[in-house]
Amino acid sequence: MSDIPVTVIGGYLGAGKTTMVNHLLRNAEERMAVLVNDFGSINIDEELISDRDGDTISLANGCICCSLADGLAAALDTVLAFDPKPERLLIEASGVADPASIAAYAHAPGLRLDAALVVVDAETIRARSTDKYVGDTVVRQLASADLLILNKVDLVDADVLSGTKAWLSRQAPKAAIVEATNGAVASAVIFDLGLVNRAVHNVSETVAEDVFQTWSWTGDELKRSHIENLMTALDERDDVFRVKGVVTLTDEPDQPMVLQRVGSRWSLTVLESEDKPTLSRVVAITAPDALKPDGLDTWLGSATST
Amino acid sequence: MSEAVETTIYPARTIHTMNRAHPSAEAIAVRGTRILGIGSVDELSTWAERLGPYTVDESFADKVLFPGFIEAHCHVMTGGMWQFPYVGFFDRRGVDGRLWTGCKNIAAVVERLSEVEQQIDDPEETLIAWGLDPIYFDGEERLLAHHLDEVSATRPMFVYHASGHLATVNSALMAKEGITRQAATPGVARYESGEPNGEFQEPAAMRLAGDAFTTFRQTIASAEAKWNYGFEARNAGNTTVADLGTSNVADEEKLTEWRSVVNDPDFPCRVMVAGASGVAGTVDPTSLAELVLELQATESEKLRFGVIKIVIDGSIQGFTARISWPHYFNAPEGHPGNGLWLIPPDQVADLVSVYHQAGLTVHCHCNGDEAAEVFIDAVEEAHRRHPRVDTRHTVQHCQLTTPPQYRRMATMGMCANIFSNHMFYWGDQHRELTVGPERAEQMDACGTAEAAGVSFSIHCDAPVTPMGPLHVAWCAVNRLTASGRVLGEQERISVDTALRAITTEAAYQLKLDHDIGSLEAGKLADLTVLDDDPYEVDPATLKDIGVWGTVVGGRKHPAAKSNA
Repeated sequence: MSDIPVTVIGGYLGAGKTTMVNHLLRNAEERMAVLVNDFGSINIDEELISDRDGDTISLANGCICCSLADGLAAALDTVLAFDPKPERLLIEASGVADPASIAAYAHAPGLRLDAALVVVDAETIRARSTDKYVGDTVVRQLASADLLILNKVDLVDADVLSGTKAWLSRQAPKAAIVEATNGAVASAVIFDLGLVNRAVHNVSETVAEDVFQTWSWTGDELKRSHIENLMTALDERDDVFRVKGVVTLTDEPDQPMVLQRVGSRWSLTVLESEDKPTLSRVVAITAPDALKPDGLDTWLGSATST
Repeated sequence: MSEAVETTIYPARTIHTMNRAHPSAEAIAVRGTRILGIGSVDELSTWAERLGPYTVDESFADKVLFPGFIEAHCHVMTGGMWQFPYVGFFDRRGVDGRLWTGCKNIAAVVERLSEVEQQIDDPEETLIAWGLDPIYFDGEERLLAHHLDEVSATRPMFVYHASGHLATVNSALMAKEGITRQAATPGVARYESGEPNGEFQEPAAMRLAGDAFTTFRQTIASAEAKWNYGFEARNAGNTTVADLGTSNVADEEKLTEWRSVVNDPDFPCRVMVAGASGVAGTVDPTSLAELVLELQATESEKLRFGVIKIVIDGSIQGFTARISWPHYFNAPEGHPGNGLWLIPPDQVADLVSVYHQAGLTVHCHCNGDEAAEVFIDAVEEAHRRHPRVDTRHTVQHCQLTTPPQYRRMATMGMCANIFSNHMFYWGDQHRELTVGPERAEQMDACGTAEAAGVSFSIHCDAPVTPMGPLHVAWCAVNRLTASGRVLGEQERISVDTALRAITTEAAYQLKLDHDIGSLEAGKLADLTVLDDDPYEVDPATLKDIGVWGTVVGGRKHPAAKSNA
């Protein structure tokens, strides 16, 4: 059984975490388990609810919500006991939690960390970061992020936005910054390949959005060293949100590998699937116009062995 | 009910009523669950006779009686711990009265565990132990997997630390749960070789212990834990305890369990179960307020409701309390500078206002002064939104609360519940490591609270420190650390003030002072029965006074016989 990817959504009070969770729940393509602080704030249409049982709510689309009332360890036990097991776990952190300490739970048998996201309120983050009581907490959260979701960008003018982004890059040097309004960010940005590799197969469905751009590439075998060099080079950029794909390597052509990158964290792991593609397919999700018109060819074109 | 109600008169060596009008008496008359009166045997028998048959019970003739002591801040899991062997540093008495001597070093821990291991028949059963406190060991000795492997190479073992933030497991447990050098969980500590050394730091890593951690968590919340909670209270001389924020009162099953255990006539204690909005405010406050009001309206004499517990910062010894500048004195490397918030400070006023408006009392965990400031501000804001009198909102732990904060609390009629036991258990560490000499001397400032006119209680926070009202009082009176240093002489309080803190004042802050806290006609017949008189002994020996047991609602509950 493959490990279930875990996404942690952190960020200070009012940044838009719950809005984002609601958005992801409405657009879920996978059977997600969502662990939330407060059921009351989760906005679910009654007709979507198929069952309620104490600390859990089951939805018609296969997702479940579980309250963190008895703590994270207990909530994890509850959702992992579900049959069938959820395909993805989403944990909404409290407004003062350090996402890193919650992400630690994902390094456990049966789970893997996809990403720690921190939702940031573009209007208030600078003031919050110097707040007498919570300044240190907010700054610590930023430093734990793989991806910063800079929300409410429609409420600030361009100068403030670029200043804030420059400041955020210093606070969270490892994270890419995704702009958002109303907490609406496409699942392709938020999530990795997942258990069923949907993001690769359905890539055309999530292309059109003006805050990000999706680039895809298909080719032959890639050299492992080339991928490693590329991943290191990407550390310098904060406009590449994600890279994900299934690749075959020249040194092990019979064993397709899953490539995942978020922020500055990346991995190359064995594809656990009966279906063994022979071609490499890679998707990059970036800020608009982050790449030249030839897209991923610049990165990967020369790497094919043929 | 046709059951005959009888009157019993207990003459005693002395009765301290804690009621200013009649500070002491020679006898007390109990009718049913309540006090018929205090006075002389003659006075009381005249009255008793008019009501029917009565008896004079001489069993307390050489004892000293107090209104039942009240522990206003502890947790039900303290009872659950006793289902596992104890390996802590200080001597501790089990619920059965057995004295568990402290394990002063790793060798002693290994020896204790070996004894226990040999008594377990099932070779598959995991050995779980608790209370390990390496902070007191010489030379920063740490218990690691190879020590536990000496005890057993085949039986999984899980040792829970006193801090609650760590567990140490053996190689057999790691093998069972598949924990290898590949484990990526932060908090899995390692030997130099890179192999996990058995120390799992923080809950995310502790969760890797799988069944052992689950068993531990479930056991400490079981019905047996509740029974043991009452027994531990009785042995220590408490007749009322407040389970502050351990129980999810919205969980119908747990609530039923509370009712059936506490309302059992054999259960030796009253329990105030606080409604808790979860570790991170996870239960909707409006519904919780409604629920607690409903529970309060239908409460029994023994099982009480009406207070709400919230937690806004961490602990001082864990370097997670929110402390104002200059923050921590000598924090470990990599410490971020200040502690953690558990609820966004901006949210506290809204949260407090909901309960405040509902007429409930909010008890807020504030170890650091910054946390206390946020809570006091929130109470002030709640008053601005919904003017109200007599709230008794309480700053819990109240360890670094400052003189200006105490004066604001007094102005608003707030109470304090001060964690006096810290003086003894961590006073030395606070001076050397956490807050430094100046603030350490000002910690747990009972003297300042008294001077400011704040009604305060003192507490043990069991299982964090052992249940023991006289120990709690001894700490507030003497302020001696484990190494024997007097820490903050000016904050010492008198024996009388300390005894009021665990009787009348604790009752007041739980809003139970109409029923308990002093001995007077009409109140519930709750007594703590002591072998000696705290007003007469050397205050330095206050904690050593023998406890015969208690009377709760007129029913005698002798303490478990000790083996030492």
